[in-house]
Amino acid sequence: MREHGAPEGGAQSDDESLLADLGRVIATFDPPPPGLVERVQFALELENLDVEVARWERAGLAGVRSAVDQGTITFTVSDLTVMINLTKTGRCHRIDGWLVPAGRYEVEVRVAEHGSSATTADEGGRFVLDDVPRGTTQIVVSMPDALGRRTVVTPAVVL
Amino acid sequence: MTGVHTAEVDPPWEGLAGAELFAACLRAAREGNKQGMNRLVSELTPLVWNVARGQGLDTHAAEDVVQTVWLALFSHLDQVREPKALAGWLVTTARHESQRVHGRKAPPVPLTDEMAETVPSTLPAPEAEVLRTERDRRIWSAFAQLPQRCQELLRMTVLAGRAEYRVVAEALRMPRGSIGPNRGRCLKTMRELLDIEGGSA
Repeated sequence: MREHGAPEGGAQSDDESLLADLGRVIATFDPPPPGLVERVQFALELENLDVEVARWERAGLAGVRSAVDQGTITFTVSDLTVMINLTKTGRCHRIDGWLVPAGRYEVEVRVAEHGSSATTADEGGRFVLDDVPRGTTQIVVSMPDALGRRTVVTPAVVL
Repeated sequence: MTGVHTAEVDPPWEGLAGAELFAACLRAAREGNKQGMNRLVSELTPLVWNVARGQGLDTHAAEDVVQTVWLALFSHLDQVREPKALAGWLVTTARHESQRVHGRKAPPVPLTDEMAETVPSTLPAPEAEVLRTERDRRIWSAFAQLPQRCQELLRMTVLAGRAEYRVVAEALRMPRGSIGPNRGRCLKTMRELLDIEGGSA
């Protein structure tokens, strides 16, 4: 990182030094959240990266994530909706999930440093996973489609 | 498939920087090298983050955009035809995704004085920060008062680097020659705000 370079004179060097300051200030005041790089890297550890990414759906106001300890979280991608409800059970939680449209799809829940647990949704699209460790979590849903298999993942979120 | 890797050999991106580094990491990632992938993520996440923040997203929405962009990249590594264009691809994709999340389209209009309207700021209040020098606080405060378009342009300038004019121009859909003048205008406004903030002290 350059400090104060040789003066080039005039507005141009003023701009350069203001930009250098600004770069430092932005990195200080608005850095990526702690752990974001690691969460991305965890999400990318999937064996098969040929996936569609479901998006966190915010009901109403932004910033709902802070209330993630309990309640329902919804992710959507094109025509698929993944809803999960979390219930704390000691150090773990139970995940009650619901896929729309419904189907007997495979559901895997990956938790950083805790491996993964898998189940299959019932005909109504419902699935339950007990005693899922808390931590950086990603949900992977596999379903057959016209081209063979389709995999949908959620972003890695801290649950 | 086992992820064999020989720790003794320097990775092919050793000693490289900037676009060359990203291109080498991307090529390695295409061959299944997870280290190349992880290096890209750690090097370029700040850029993607700043694009999303520059579009006015709150921190949670910006984080989702960052993850979505990276997963999209590694799901379709062949999309980036020219590895050296990776930064540009990330900026464009992050911008598009941010606008989608935002539920609005930011029109590709050039910066003008009429655009100096105040955009509700989602930036953290400077007061919340401690141990900042007074000058840094004033710079941040002036930056936060700039029109969003200026904030976006300046974020990209400092993140993507001056060398990658083309990236910024293409991503912002601005004529390449107008980046410099626009940037100059934004910096001029910022300096005026700094003068007001600083008073005559």
